[in-house]
Amino acid sequence: MSRKQWMDNAFWETEEKKELNCILELEDDVGRVTRQQMFLHRHDKDGGENELFNEVIDALGEDSIDKETTDRVVRKEAQAEEDKLRENEHQKARKLEKLFNYKIEAFEVEEIKNSKNRKLKAKLRRAKSKIEVDMWSIMILQDQLEAESDGKE
Amino acid sequence: MEKSKGFIIVASKKHNFYLYAINLAESLRDYYEPEDECKICLVTEERFLDDRGRDVADDIILCDDHYRAKLYGMAKSPYDITMYIDADMEVEHEDITKVWDEMKDHDVVFTALTDDRDYIYAERDFDTPEGVSKFTLCGAVCLYDMSKPIVREFMDDWWDLTFRQMNDSWWPKGYADSLKSWDQFSLWWLTEKEEKYKDLKVGIFDDDLRWNYYNALNWAITKPETGPVIIRHFSAGLNKDTPIV
Repeated sequence: MSRKQWMDNAFWETEEKKELNCILELEDDVGRVTRQQMFLHRHDKDGGENELFNEVIDALGEDSIDKETTDRVVRKEAQAEEDKLRENEHQKARKLEKLFNYKIEAFEVEEIKNSKNRKLKAKLRRAKSKIEVDMWSIMILQDQLEAESDGKE
Repeated sequence: MEKSKGFIIVASKKHNFYLYAINLAESLRDYYEPEDECKICLVTEERFLDDRGRDVADDIILCDDHYRAKLYGMAKSPYDITMYIDADMEVEHEDITKVWDEMKDHDVVFTALTDDRDYIYAERDFDTPEGVSKFTLCGAVCLYDMSKPIVREFMDDWWDLTFRQMNDSWWPKGYADSLKSWDQFSLWWLTEKEEKYKDLKVGIFDDDLRWNYYNALNWAITKPETGPVIIRHFSAGLNKDTPIV
């Protein structure tokens, strides 16, 4: 037996409630279910009432569509917030990877590589930005040059 | 006599791993208290070893360029209680000193591969003749008690089986060839299929994300519950093949 049903997640497209976004679920005689998304106008081109639009209103009720419209906005905002948070964290992680690679590169500079100053090297390893890495690199270079000249004296 | 304790780090095949290993070892010394009790064994190839390696490590073991030399190194640990850490990781918290407490009454301790962290794994679910299975243990860090004969045997077998699965001298019927490159497979086989290890006490680190936080994980979704990250894993974001200098 065939069946036709408006799904209860219909929502208003505009505040004036002149356009409705809804889904019609159809089941044919052999039980195959299809869903059709529809964008319905309250009035047709000639200004007359749209029967399909009225059918949805009768089936779901205007209050229910109002509530779904409000809930949907809240859901979408929450989702957007969550997506933004995830994207921010993703970017932070990528930045950290780049910083790690940058530090490994810094540790390969001959003077830093040969430096025995564990304290300064630890500072470099803990650096939170490239500028900080550069700063500690310069400190290690200076320290290493001093150590080398002290060794010569 | 008190059991000896120490860390083992393996760097083979690619020079970049040696640089990561040096950084990891130095980061261990940055945070471990007291620092002179931080024993480190570096397993590496002779061609990579330089003064930095000799300075930072208490013990050095030479290995060949096998892709999974880590298992060779793990089996050769000179310490009773050993903490193995993948070379591409970095210590960033002083709680590293508490790692030995995680041994409890286990024989070996790992971090877990869980469903909610599934989004970063390359290959986890796999077909077996008995149905679909999945890896549940991650070998990036491993705490184990080498003073127990069963653990020594287990480590030898893990290395041996991995070596044989990778050179095609051992492979069970009904398993995809793509699994051959994973030491997680040999680990899964030993812990799930080998009768000899049915009583091996395998544990998971408490709040294990603190001990192996993959930087590829998204902090907004997946983060430790009880404290900051202790060891961060940079695996995915590194270009291991291109020489750094």
